[in-house]
Amino acid sequence: MKKNKLKKQLVITLLALLSSSLVFAQGAGAAGAATPASNETFNSLLANGLIFFAGLTMLGAVLALFHLLSMMIKVQQIKIYQEQGIEAYLEDVEKTQKEPWWKRQYKAWTNVVPVEKEDSVMLDHNYDGIRELDNSLPPWWVAMFYITIFLGVVFLGYYHVLGGPSQADEYNAEMKVAEQAKAAFAATQANTIDEANLEASTDPKDLSIGQTIFSTNCVACHSAKGEGGVGPNLTDEFWIHGGGITNVFKTVKNGVPEKGMIAWSAQLKPADILKVSSYILTLQGTNPPNGKAPQGTKYVAEGEEAPADTSAVN
Amino acid sequence: MAQVETFYYDNAIVRKFAYATMLWAVVGMLVGLIAAFQLIWPELNLGIPYTSFGRIRPLHTNAAIFAFVGNGIYMGVYYSLQRLLKTRMFSNALSNIHFWGWQSIIVMAAVTLPLGITSAKEYAELEWPIDIAIALVWVVFGINMFGTILKRRENHMYVAIWFYIATWITVTVLHIGNNIEIPVSATKSYNIFAGVQDALVQWWYGHNAVAFFLTTPYLGLMYYFLPKAANRPVYSYRLSIIHFWALIFIYIWAGPHHLLYTSLPDWAQSLGTVFSVMLIAPSWGGMLNGLLTLRGAWDRVRQDPVLKFMVVAITAYGMATFEGPMLSIKSVNAISHFTDWTIGHVHIGTLGWNGFLTFGILYWLIPRLFNTQLYSGKLANAHFWIGTLGIAFYAIPLYWAGWAQSLMWKEFTPDGFLKYGNFLETVTQIMPMYYIRALGGTLYFAGTLVMVYNLIATIRQGSFIGDEVAEAPARVATDGAHKGEHWHRWIERRPMQMLVGAAIAILIGGIIEISPMVMIESNIPKIASVKPYTPLELHGRDLYIREGCLGCHSQMVRPFRSETERYGEYSKSGEYIYDRPFLWGSKRTGPDLHREGGKYPDSWHYNHMVDPQSMSPGSIMPAYPWLLRDEMDLGTLPKKIKVLTMLGTPYPEGFEDQAVADLKKQASEVAKRLRADGVEDDKLEKRDIVALIAYLQRLGTDIKPKAATN
Repeated sequence: MKKNKLKKQLVITLLALLSSSLVFAQGAGAAGAATPASNETFNSLLANGLIFFAGLTMLGAVLALFHLLSMMIKVQQIKIYQEQGIEAYLEDVEKTQKEPWWKRQYKAWTNVVPVEKEDSVMLDHNYDGIRELDNSLPPWWVAMFYITIFLGVVFLGYYHVLGGPSQADEYNAEMKVAEQAKAAFAATQANTIDEANLEASTDPKDLSIGQTIFSTNCVACHSAKGEGGVGPNLTDEFWIHGGGITNVFKTVKNGVPEKGMIAWSAQLKPADILKVSSYILTLQGTNPPNGKAPQGTKYVAEGEEAPADTSAVN
Repeated sequence: MAQVETFYYDNAIVRKFAYATMLWAVVGMLVGLIAAFQLIWPELNLGIPYTSFGRIRPLHTNAAIFAFVGNGIYMGVYYSLQRLLKTRMFSNALSNIHFWGWQSIIVMAAVTLPLGITSAKEYAELEWPIDIAIALVWVVFGINMFGTILKRRENHMYVAIWFYIATWITVTVLHIGNNIEIPVSATKSYNIFAGVQDALVQWWYGHNAVAFFLTTPYLGLMYYFLPKAANRPVYSYRLSIIHFWALIFIYIWAGPHHLLYTSLPDWAQSLGTVFSVMLIAPSWGGMLNGLLTLRGAWDRVRQDPVLKFMVVAITAYGMATFEGPMLSIKSVNAISHFTDWTIGHVHIGTLGWNGFLTFGILYWLIPRLFNTQLYSGKLANAHFWIGTLGIAFYAIPLYWAGWAQSLMWKEFTPDGFLKYGNFLETVTQIMPMYYIRALGGTLYFAGTLVMVYNLIATIRQGSFIGDEVAEAPARVATDGAHKGEHWHRWIERRPMQMLVGAAIAILIGGIIEISPMVMIESNIPKIASVKPYTPLELHGRDLYIREGCLGCHSQMVRPFRSETERYGEYSKSGEYIYDRPFLWGSKRTGPDLHREGGKYPDSWHYNHMVDPQSMSPGSIMPAYPWLLRDEMDLGTLPKKIKVLTMLGTPYPEGFEDQAVADLKKQASEVAKRLRADGVEDDKLEKRDIVALIAYLQRLGTDIKPKAATN
């Protein structure tokens, strides 16, 4: 009798919730048509509210079902005890009293027939001497299976029904965050280095860093000592794209794509481009063996850059 | 009760497959070891084309999968099938055709792959004539197996046989589906699918080669040899049923997890992810049924090397099948993909699961075939420890290497630059891990040699009986159900229904994933500026395939900041519509090449092929002197254009007749540029290198704005 009452209550609650959410949905539709701006906040509020209510309902339903189930089990158990007599009941009471919580959990989740009693679940199968037991599916395994299926449904639902971000959306978001972080970092840096304020460094520390950058990135085309290979000789006074720190910096930074010199601005930060450019200028006049023939025009420093140049050439 | 009949088990065929298993184990592992050492010393290929890394990598994978494990499957199936069904194999002739047919396919593979005859699809590299031979031999195996099942004396089929049946039908479907190609010559063909479609079909195949060649048949073997060796009943019949059907149904969907964050449409990627996650439980069902079968026999596991090998095998299976679903989660895959993590993962599966289960079976089987005891239990124990150490020394450094390299690829400085802008820095960083991996491989290989010695000594001291006598009552065909029997007993009496049921289970996933990709155009948005390859580029592309460049270089820039900053715009599905086969690759030992076009001058590539270390000091790429030496073989070029036109590549009408002239024109332009940069060679325009450079310079430039203004 109690069961029926509970059921009725459940149905009524569910129906009430459903109809109320329908009303909400209609209201949202009408509101959306009128004011698109406030629509978004309202929709998200509505969605959150709905999810909250749905969650509450589900929780209630689960609790009710659990309650029902445990009652049914109790009734059934009493019937069994009535058939098996008081000894069985006492045995069970003893068991529940003796076994610690975790052990009972372990038993419940593995639900295995002990080896000593396995004859009770031995099937009449015999394949070349191989016998089979009829142990039940391990409950923890079944639970895991259901959980993964549930997760699968949630995943597909989120990304392909509810409009979760696509791969391209994720990329755009990542780039946006990076841009902001970059800008925020740049704001903390006192003086940014660009073509307007260049001066070749003579600091041995800078030049040694420049040399390292040169040997990891530049030697492939300009060779170990700057004597040139695929790319031009960097040790003579002839330059295709202009000598002096400003021109060299620009060439390294922007590259000469049509001739295969890549733009290094994507891989080297301005300070490093300055260091490697400074190092390149120290190679002037070193005259290494196997130097490539001069290309371009002889570079003569202009007044403004002259001091920087002379210091770099040493 | 029916009359008891006397018959003979065919042990001779089992012995043949056992010998082949041992032989190919040694060969396959040795080739793998050579490849591992080449990653440390590239010059180990001795400067000849046939032993270069790109060509022997597929030789190693094919030898390990189809030669070693393949023969292991047949050995176990031919032994267990006869005994589970209480009958001799259906036909001695078919058994022998199967054996010799399969061995000749292996030999053909061992010849053609080093020659660079390959269709470039991983684990399906063999060209079309060999594909046909494989199909024929596989059908022979099927007829032999079903013939045996039909003349059985046992009413019901045991779980091992369900797995054998599912294996047979699925491999048939996969092999045919992935090898639909139009021949150009006896050694070259083009796939009917291109680009993204080809990628999806390939990994539907590729993943399920793992599932239905390395897993399901081996689960079948486990279900026979483990309870036999442990002398224990199988833990749960119900678990067998559920995990069998769930496994074969779900496995087939998981292929797209090899293509996460690529140009494959999002929906297909998501299916790959969720079905991979759902695979944990069905896979673990097999592990549980194996390990729990050992209940009450764990004391013997400590002593018996056979059981030791099997326990480690099943544990490795459990680890690999948990790791696999984890790697299929997109955010984990973003780290693992293209790195050595994947290589570590598959070797847990192959060295641990396949290798150790095979070793366990061999140690159990050989003494029985030869009616003797194992020559040395001590040596078997030594093998066990060397092998286990080998797996650890192999896998752990590769996990480490994978994580380290991936994190380096992704690291930015605060001012927004890649911290390791030069790809090579991330390679030299993990070189120590490659040394340890090679040590691990050496250990594992040494263990295998110890086993071969031990088994040969066992064989020498025993006496072989080719036809083993057995007795069983004839089958009384009682198709009616017994009262109270489990519902699944019905299908266990009906092999054909089992075949059809398995076929339906494995077809659903493939059809749902592949057909929309082929039939619905919006899945691959067209890009107007994408044009077919010129004849010279096409020739270069076929050289790229021949040399196995895709073994180390991907052509897939994923939509991550760390990749677009390093390589350029991320790859779009519409860019690949003329790619037959697709060449996305699955491992980046070197950098991605999809935006390589126009990055360096032609002469950079020329010098790089002469000596990679001269352009990139510390590089582990081998030199390719033969590309500079060999003249282009254009004999099949018109036919290639014809086949591609037939498949839908929009070359102008009659272009096959102009192709050679077009190629020569473009080649002379490339040669001119090379000469301007100081390359001296009178026949430069005729060399293979020119075509390869033209292809590399074309890569990814179709949608590159800069290239358009050049």
